Amino acid sequence: MNSKSKVPCIPIEGSISWEDWLKGRRARRESSKLVAPGIIRRRSSSSDRRLKKLFNGERGLPFTPIEKL
Amino acid sequence: MDAQIIRKALADISAEQDPTLKSAKLASLCSALWAEHGVELVVVGGSAIEILTEGAYASGDLDMCHATAATLPVAQRKEIMGLLDAKGGPRNWQVAGMYLDLLGPVESFARTPYRRVEAPYGSLLLMKPEDLLVERVLVSFYSGDNKTARDCAKILAAVALRKEIEMNWDEVRRLANLPEYRNLPECEKLVKEVANELKIKSPLHSD
Repeated sequence: MNSKSKVPCIPIEGSISWEDWLKGRRARRESSKLVAPGIIRRRSSSSDRRLKKLFNGERGLPFTPIEKL
Repeated sequence: MDAQIIRKALADISAEQDPTLKSAKLASLCSALWAEHGVELVVVGGSAIEILTEGAYASGDLDMCHATAATLPVAQRKEIMGLLDAKGGPRNWQVAGMYLDLLGPVESFARTPYRRVEAPYGSLLLMKPEDLLVERVLVSFYSGDNKTARDCAKILAAVALRKEIEMNWDEVRRLANLPEYRNLPECEKLVKEVANELKIKSPLHSD
């Protein structure tokens, strides 16, 4: 646990519980978006054909908005 | 694992509409089933970066490798993945509304452990962020201007600098000096840039 922010930290040693990993999702997304805003999913790859077939023309499911994390 | 538990898990994963939760849960279930046969699986690449950073990067395929030296013969793979109603194989499956790719033995240079999440269907191993960061910096600098790889490196650095994942920076430095990478200046530059954006001192700089 990060004592300053109280955001559960994914540790080097041991493990993080599912509950703590879930609790940290929003903070991790916020940190990520400070330096790489928006969706940064690749626009294409060698898997495009199968992905777009499965996900209605997209390369995956839509990401959950930050306010719902 | 009991057949009824597998059925319930599959129903849960199939209905899951959050891509990161879906990926983590599927990795957890597969890891548990393969572990029953002595094979330890690790989430790698973009799938691992997503679970570590929530960076909105991963696509709808889950990449895993085996950390144990041996993997399973094709017949046993078929049997295990059959329990999950998986289509395809023996290295790529469509399962629970996404794709799972089993890429082979894991390649890691870091001496730190794989990160571990106690996920709903069993313990989930993630590629070491030290390896992921140095590798993404390498790709971002050496294949022209690869913005996606650069963004991936930046989000890994950001969550680590904000202590949301624990990163061994000495190990990052050691890896970046290995002949396989030789990209310490690029790593220092990128981490410093992210640290400046976040108004945090870069752990890769002594000044």
